[in-house]
Amino acid sequence: MINDSVIDRSKDITILELLDRVLNKGVILTGDIVISVADIDLIYLGVKLMLSSVETMEQLKSERQRIDK
Amino acid sequence: MDKLIYCLLLAKSNHTKPETILNSLKGVMEASLLAVEYHNISAIISDVTEKQFVANKQHAVEFALVIDKLAQKYTLLPMRFGSMMDSTGSVMDMLERNEVEIEAGLKKVKNKWEYGLKVLCDREKLKEELIAKQDNDSLNLVKPEIDPNKSVYKTYVLKKLSEHRAEEQILSFVDSILVEIKTYLRKLKAVDKCKKMTNETTIIDAVFLLDKKKKKEVINLVKDLQQKYPQLNFLLTGPWPPYNFVEINIK
Repeated sequence: MINDSVIDRSKDITILELLDRVLNKGVILTGDIVISVADIDLIYLGVKLMLSSVETMEQLKSERQRIDK
Repeated sequence: MDKLIYCLLLAKSNHTKPETILNSLKGVMEASLLAVEYHNISAIISDVTEKQFVANKQHAVEFALVIDKLAQKYTLLPMRFGSMMDSTGSVMDMLERNEVEIEAGLKKVKNKWEYGLKVLCDREKLKEELIAKQDNDSLNLVKPEIDPNKSVYKTYVLKKLSEHRAEEQILSFVDSILVEIKTYLRKLKAVDKCKKMTNETTIIDAVFLLDKKKKKEVINLVKDLQQKYPQLNFLLTGPWPPYNFVEINIK
């Protein structure tokens, strides 16, 4: 059974990995607007084997929707 | 009204038209999504005003979630967060100008997911462990003798030599793991990009593009590696849309 702290850490890592990709990778549109993002720091913490996935992202989304309500 | 572009997709890669899926999704700041189509390719966009648009973490996540949802159904190329054009007409012109390049890019990533694999460790601790593993003879070579009769210069040189050897040991250790990973990935016909020693804690930072059906094989690889090298931390993430494998700049 996976404990809560592992799930939390997995979420943090998924977010970091996601932001790293969405901010630094992907198709670049030459000559158009590039937005700089100020409030995001990407820091990796030491972890044991961790498998983060789309499922974690889905969980994040549903949690946020719950908070919004 | 500006258009925020999320991704470029191959509309033919699914029988369902993009509009059907877009109706059930929301973009950044709850905006409605729209597909701008040109021949076989589409750009997924939403309205946004530059003044409204705040580039923060929440919006970046919302942006990524749209791409992720669509990647479950379509072959696509993610756009970098914050890519905007001034009108639907400009987006259409962009698709027309870059059609060949976009289609070629889409072909490369068809039916594939991206995975990320980071190998993390406490470098100092690893250095100590590797030195400790050496036999007695080489241990004598690596450890500087602190002899008060020796000159400060000689002690300094020995210390530097020891550090240099330890670094060499780490590099060769990292290389051997990298070879192991790459050999396995080659068997799975994956395309990979690997970097070594990207910072103090990350000894390997790899991304690879792999057939969608081979998810289990990747998970097993990482589990095996973790078991074999308990002193290291293996961080596998994915499946991701192919962010690291879009090598096109569009005009």
